[in-house]
Amino acid sequence: MPDVYNWQIGRTMTYPYPEAHPRQQFAAVFNINRCIGCQTCTGACKATWTFSRGQEYMWWNNVETKPYGSYPQHWDVKALKLLDEAHQAAGVKPNWDRTQANEKAPYGVYNGLTLTEAAGPNEVVLGYLPADAEWRSPNFYEDTSTAYRGGPFGLSPDGATLPEHQAWFFYLMRICNHCTYPACLAACPRKAIYKREEDGIVLIDQERCRGYRKCVEACPYKKAMYRGTTQVSEKCVGCYPRVEGADPLSDGVPMEARCMAVCPGKIRLNGLVEIAEDGSWVEAPQHPLYYLVRIAQVALPLYPQFGTEPNIYYIPPRWAPRPYLRQMFGPGVDQAIERYIAPSRELLAVLQLFRTTQKMIFRFEIEEGALVREVEVNGKMWQMYDDTVIGFDAQGREVVRLSVVEPLHERPLERLNSI
Amino acid sequence: MFKRNFVIATLILLASLATILLNAPLVSSQGLTITAAAVEGALPLEAPDSELWRLATAVEVPLSAQMIARPILPETNAKAITVRALHNGEEIAFLLEWADATRNDATVRVEDFRDAVALQFPLIDGQPFYCMGQQGGDVNIWHWKADWQAALIARRTLQDVYPNIHVDMYPFVDETENLYLAAYADVDFLPAEAVGNLLALPVHTTPVEDMVAGGFGSLTSQPPEGQNVQGYGEWRDGLWRVILSRSLRSTEAEDVSFAPEKLYSVAFAAWDGANRERNGAKSTSQWVSLQLGAAPAPAAAPAAGAAAPSPARTAAVTPSGIGPLFWGFIGLLVVLWALIALTLLYFRDEGKS
Ligand code: SF4
Ligand code: SF4
Ligand code: SF4
Repeated sequence: MPDVYNWQIGRTMTYPYPEAHPRQQFAAVFNINRCIGCQTCTGACKATWTFSRGQEYMWWNNVETKPYGSYPQHWDVKALKLLDEAHQAAGVKPNWDRTQANEKAPYGVYNGLTLTEAAGPNEVVLGYLPADAEWRSPNFYEDTSTAYRGGPFGLSPDGATLPEHQAWFFYLMRICNHCTYPACLAACPRKAIYKREEDGIVLIDQERCRGYRKCVEACPYKKAMYRGTTQVSEKCVGCYPRVEGADPLSDGVPMEARCMAVCPGKIRLNGLVEIAEDGSWVEAPQHPLYYLVRIAQVALPLYPQFGTEPNIYYIPPRWAPRPYLRQMFGPGVDQAIERYIAPSRELLAVLQLFRTTQKMIFRFEIEEGALVREVEVNGKMWQMYDDTVIGFDAQGREVVRLSVVEPLHERPLERLNSI
Repeated sequence: MFKRNFVIATLILLASLATILLNAPLVSSQGLTITAAAVEGALPLEAPDSELWRLATAVEVPLSAQMIARPILPETNAKAITVRALHNGEEIAFLLEWADATRNDATVRVEDFRDAVALQFPLIDGQPFYCMGQQGGDVNIWHWKADWQAALIARRTLQDVYPNIHVDMYPFVDETENLYLAAYADVDFLPAEAVGNLLALPVHTTPVEDMVAGGFGSLTSQPPEGQNVQGYGEWRDGLWRVILSRSLRSTEAEDVSFAPEKLYSVAFAAWDGANRERNGAKSTSQWVSLQLGAAPAPAAAPAAGAAAPSPARTAAVTPSGIGPLFWGFIGLLVVLWALIALTLLYFRDEGKS
C-alpha cells in the first residue's frame, strides 16, 4: 500500500491509494463550549436530506451527550477498543511525541497504528458493522452527566469549579468529516466512493454502490449508513448544492451547509480551505478556518489517531477532564483550552463570525476598537477590546460586520410593551 | 561439430518443453466437465424436482474462499455446488444445489445479507482470470439473489421487518396506499433508483441480475433491457436449489451465447448471507468445462411406477483427470517426434562428415 502524509498525526501512514488532493476542502469548526444541545442542526439535515422511506434511522448530523451518549451506540468505545486490541496484538504502546511538533506536524507525531495500519491482511480498514439496534435511540443518555459526588445533603460547594467540573457532560455534534483519507472510500471494493476535486466532499456514487456496507463497517465515525429500501449506502453529502453556490439563495457564492447555517447556538463555522498539491493547507492567515485551526490552534480534529484526517475541528469543552479530551482530540487539547479561555484580540474577533451569515466566509479583516474591559483570567490579566471583524465571501464582497461588544438597543418608552 | 551442438541444444529445449507441458498446472486442468444434456420440449425452469433433471449428470464442483482481493473472508460456508444442466436447442438451464443451514432472503436491516449464487462465463475465447475476469478478458455473470426471489412472491416492507414501525407520512408518496409500499411520485428522494441502480428498483421481474465484469471492482449491471436471465430458487432443510436459465443464443455483446455440441467454460460462486458473505467474501470455483449435448434427444422420462432411480450424482472426473493426461499425451508425442527427427538429422550429418 502506498504511503500518504497525514499532518494531523505528523507522519506518513499506509493508505490503499496514493495521495491526490482536492483544490479546496470542505471544513468546519464546531465550538463545543457553546452548543445548547437543541438538535436544530439534526432536524435541519433530516428535513433536507433524510425524510424518505428507508432513512428513518439515518441522522447524518447528530448531537450526542458525552461521555455516555453515542450514535450508533458506543461507536467511539467500540472503535477505540478495536484499535486497542490491535495495539496489544502488535505489542505497540501508542503515544504522541509532542517534542516533534513543527509546522508540518502541529500536534507532534503519533506513534501508534491508524485504522488502515491495524487492519490485518484480510481487510483494508479495521472496523465493525453496527447492527440495527445500535442505530436506534440516537439520543439515548441525553444530558446525562457523570456521577455527582455531593457533600452533605448532596450539595457540593465546588462541584462546578474549573478547570474540571466534578460532574460533567458535554455535547458532541457530529457530521461526516469529509476526511482527507476517508476510511469509507478506502474500504469500498467497488471504488463507488469518491472525494470531489473541487471541494473534497466525500460522496457515495448511488449508481455504483451495491450495498456491500464495507463503508459502514470501515468508517470509524459511523457516518456511512445503509438504506435497506434501496439496498445501497448513503451518507452526508456536505450539502454540496449549497457549497457549489447552486442554491437560489446563495447569490452564486458558496453557502454554509444546512446543519451549520441553522445553528441557534452559533457554534459552527463552515467554509472551504485552499489545499496545496501536497495536501497541506495553503497559508491564509486571514481565512477564519485557517486561523482557528492552524494559527490559534484552538480547534482540533476528532480522534486524529484513527488516521482519516477528519476535516471537522472542535474547540474542546473547557470543563471536561483533560485525559478524556486528550484521547478524543489529541495532545493539542491543553493549549487549545488555555487559548480559548483567554482569547487573543484576534481570536476573540474571529469567534464572533460564527453563524452570522449563510455565505461561507473566505477572508476576514479586523478594525481595532477601544479597550473595554480588563479582568484576571487564570492569574493573568486579560484585556478585551471592542474590535470590529468583517467577513468577505468568495467574491471578496463584504457579507458581515460585527463588533466584539454587541450593540445595545434600548426600546423607547412608548413601545415598552410591544413585541 | 557446430551442427551437433545445435542439435543437442534443441533436444534439451524440447525435452524441457515437454516437461513443462506434462507438469504445468493449467487453469483448464480443473478437469471437471458439466454436460448440458439435450432434451426435447420445455425445460423445468421452475421445477427442481422435475424428472427431467435426472437426464443430466450431476457434477459436484468444489468451492473455496476467494483469497486474492481484499476484503477476504478465509472461512466461507459453501464448500461445493452440485450442478446439473439441460438444454433443448432453444434454452439452457442450470440446477445448482448447495448446503446452507439458514435461509437469508432479506436485506432490509443493516446486518442482513442475502444468500446468493452466480454463474460466470468468459466473453473472450479462452479463459480469463477465473475470479471476475480481467482487463481485456470480460466475463458474463448471472447472479441469483435470495431476496429478489422472495420479493417476487411478496416484497418485504419495513413493516414486515419492524412490525411496530409508525410513520405519519413520507413526503412525495401517495398517501392513499400502504405507506410502506407506496410508489414515489418523485424518485429523486430514492437517489439510487433515480440514477437507475438496478438494485434499488422496487420491483424485479427476475431473481437473477445479468452482469458483466472485467476484473475486481468492475462488476456492472447490464441495462434493464439486457436483463434476460431467468431464475427460480427454493430453500428446504438446509439446501438451496436454484435454477438459472436463458435462451441459448444472445445477440448482446455482454452476454455469453451458446450453441449445441460446443465446449464452454463456466465458474461458480456462492454466498452465505448468515456469514455476512458479500462481494469478494465468497466461495468460488475455478473454471469448469461446459459441454453442450448434441441435438435434443426425446425426453424419455422414467416409466411411471418404476422405482425412481436415485438422482445421478457423481463427481464426474477427478480434478487431476483429463486435462493433464491429455496435455501429457500431446507432450509425449512432440518429444517422440522431435527425437526421431533429430536422430535422423544427426546421422545424416555424421554420414556427410
Ligand atoms: S467520516 Fe466516515 S463517512 Fe465521512 S469521509 Fe470520513 S470515513 Fe468517510
Ligand atoms: S452538511 Fe448537509 S448533509 Fe451533511 S450533515 Fe450537515 S446538513 Fe446534513
Ligand atoms: S444546532 Fe447548534 S447549538 Fe443546536 S445542537 Fe446543533 S450544534 Fe448544538
